[in-house]
Amino acid sequence: MIKDITFGQYYPGKSLLHRMDPRMKLVLTFFLIVVLFVSKNFFALCLVSLITLIASLLSSVPQKMMLKSIKPVLIILLFTAALNIFYTKGGATYLEWGKLVITEKGVNTAIFTIIRIVTLVVLSSLLTYTTTPTMLTDGLERLLSPLKILHIKVDTLAMMMTLALRFIPTLIEEIERIMNAQKARGADLETGNLIERAKALIPIFVPLMVSSFRRAYELAFAMTCRCYTGGDGRTRMKQMKLSLRDFICLFVCLAVLAGVILLNIKFGSIFEV
Amino acid sequence: MSPALEIKNLTHCYQPGTPMEVAAIKDANITIEKGEIVGIIGHTGSGKSTLISHFNGLLKPTKGTVLVDGTDIWSSKEALRNSRFKVGLCFQYPEYQLFEDTVFKDIAFGPKNMKLPSDEIKRRVLEASKLAGVKPEMLEKSPFDLSGGEKRRVAIAGIMAMEPEVLVFDEPSAGLDPKGRRDLNNLIKAYHKKTGSTVIIVSHSMEDIAKLVDRIIVVNKAAIAMDGTVSEVFSRSEELKSMGLNVPEITEVFARLKAMGYDVPLDVYTVEYGADRLRELLGKGVGK
Repeated sequence: MIKDITFGQYYPGKSLLHRMDPRMKLVLTFFLIVVLFVSKNFFALCLVSLITLIASLLSSVPQKMMLKSIKPVLIILLFTAALNIFYTKGGATYLEWGKLVITEKGVNTAIFTIIRIVTLVVLSSLLTYTTTPTMLTDGLERLLSPLKILHIKVDTLAMMMTLALRFIPTLIEEIERIMNAQKARGADLETGNLIERAKALIPIFVPLMVSSFRRAYELAFAMTCRCYTGGDGRTRMKQMKLSLRDFICLFVCLAVLAGVILLNIKFGSIFEV
Repeated sequence: MSPALEIKNLTHCYQPGTPMEVAAIKDANITIEKGEIVGIIGHTGSGKSTLISHFNGLLKPTKGTVLVDGTDIWSSKEALRNSRFKVGLCFQYPEYQLFEDTVFKDIAFGPKNMKLPSDEIKRRVLEASKLAGVKPEMLEKSPFDLSGGEKRRVAIAGIMAMEPEVLVFDEPSAGLDPKGRRDLNNLIKAYHKKTGSTVIIVSHSMEDIAKLVDRIIVVNKAAIAMDGTVSEVFSRSEELKSMGLNVPEITEVFARLKAMGYDVPLDVYTVEYGADRLRELLGKGVGK
C-alpha cells in the first residue's frame, strides 16, 4: 500500500542528537558526508563509519528502524557492488570463469563502496529520524537566510517546504480514496500496456488536482485570516540557540576530518595500484 | 434463488503479521436478500467502511468469503471484476470523483468500463440521470460548473448507470442542507421502488435510517452487534446508547411520554407516524 512509504520519518526522543540545534545538525551531516567521500582507504572510512555508528547508538532510534532505512537502497547497493566486483581489475585473481574475472581490487572496491553507501544512508536517516520536518525546514531557512541579500525570499521558500511536507500524508490518503471510488466504477488500473495505463490515471489525476487546488485556496484563506503576510517581521516561538553540546559535536566532527586526512596520508588510497 | 450478498465469517486485519495488527472487522456474517433495503449504523471507526469495502472486492478478506449473487468474488479475476459492476459503491462525498469534461461522459465512465455498446451506454446514462434527478440540460455542462448538490447527483448517477444489483451508499447525505437531505432520501427511496434492486445505506443519521430502511445492521467494535428490523433494533435503545449511537429523537420523545404515564406506542420511528399517533391520542382526550 502507498501508505507504507514513510516520509518525514521523525522518531520522537530526547537524545543528544534530538536536542542538537537543527542548523548544526544539518551542517555536520553535510560535513560528515563530505568527509566520507574524502576517505580514501579502509582505515579512514572505518573511522567515519565508527562515528556514525556511535551517533546512531546515541540517537535512541531503534536499530531495526535504522535497518529499515537501508532497505530501499538495497538494490542500488547490490548493483554497484556487482559492477565494482566485475569491472575493477587489479591485484590477485580470485576467480576466473569465462569472461567473469574477480580480482582482489574488485572485491576491495565493492566492499568499500557498500560501507560508504550504508554510512551515507545511515547519516542522512539519522538527521531525519531525530529532527522533525518543521525543525529541519526552520534550520534550513536560518542557514540560507544570508541569501536574503540577493533578494531571495528564503522565509517564503521555507514556508512552502513546510506546507509541502505537511500535505504529503493528506494527499496520499486522498489518492487512495479517489482510487477506490474509481475502482468501484470499474476503472482498471492494473492491466493494459503503458499508454493504456497512463490513460487510466486520468480519472485519478484530475480529481486529485481539483481537490489540491481547493485545499490550497482554503489554506491560503486560513493563513490570511491569521494575518500571515510573509516572513518580514515574524518572530519565532522556538528560538534556536547553539549550546555547548553543539560545539562538542562540531569539535568531534573536526577531529574526524583531521583523523581521516592523517589516515589518508599514512595508508594511501585503495583506488591507486 | 441465491441471496444478493452473503458475507461469511469475514475477518479483516490491517497490517497483518506486524505488532501494529488491528482487526477492523471480526467474524462478520451477513445475508442480504434481493430487493431488500438495509441500513448499516455504527460509531465512527467501528469498521463500517472496512465492511462495505469488501462488498465489491476493494479489500480482500483476511479470512472468510464474500458471495455476490452466489459467486465467491475472489474465486477468479472475472468474478472480482464482475463484482465491481454488480455491487455499486457510492462513497462519502462522491462528488470528488468527478473528472470528465462533461456530465454525460462522467456518468458514462462506469458503463464504458463494462465495455457496453454505445447506444446501451447512452440509454443507461439517460436512465440514470433521470433516476438521480440530473436535469437533461446539465448533461453537456462541465461537472465542475455545477453546485455541490448537483455534483453529488451526477456522481450518484455515475454509479446507478452501471445498473448494479446492489447499491451501497456511504453517508449519502453528509454535508447537505436539510432540503438536499430530504431530496436525496426521496431519490433513494424512489430508486429502490422503481428498480427493485437491493440498497444498503450507511448513515449516522438515525432519522434518515428510520425513514428509509426495513432492516438495520449495527456494527460496533469491529463486529456485528445487532441485525434486525427497525423496531427490533430501536427497541434496544440503552444498548445503542452504550455504543455511542442513538434512537431517532421522536422515538425518544415517545419513550418519555410513556414513562410519564401516557398510553402511547413505543414503535414510533418517524415524525409523520408519531404525529398521527399523537393526533389520535388528543382525539380520544388525553388521559393518564
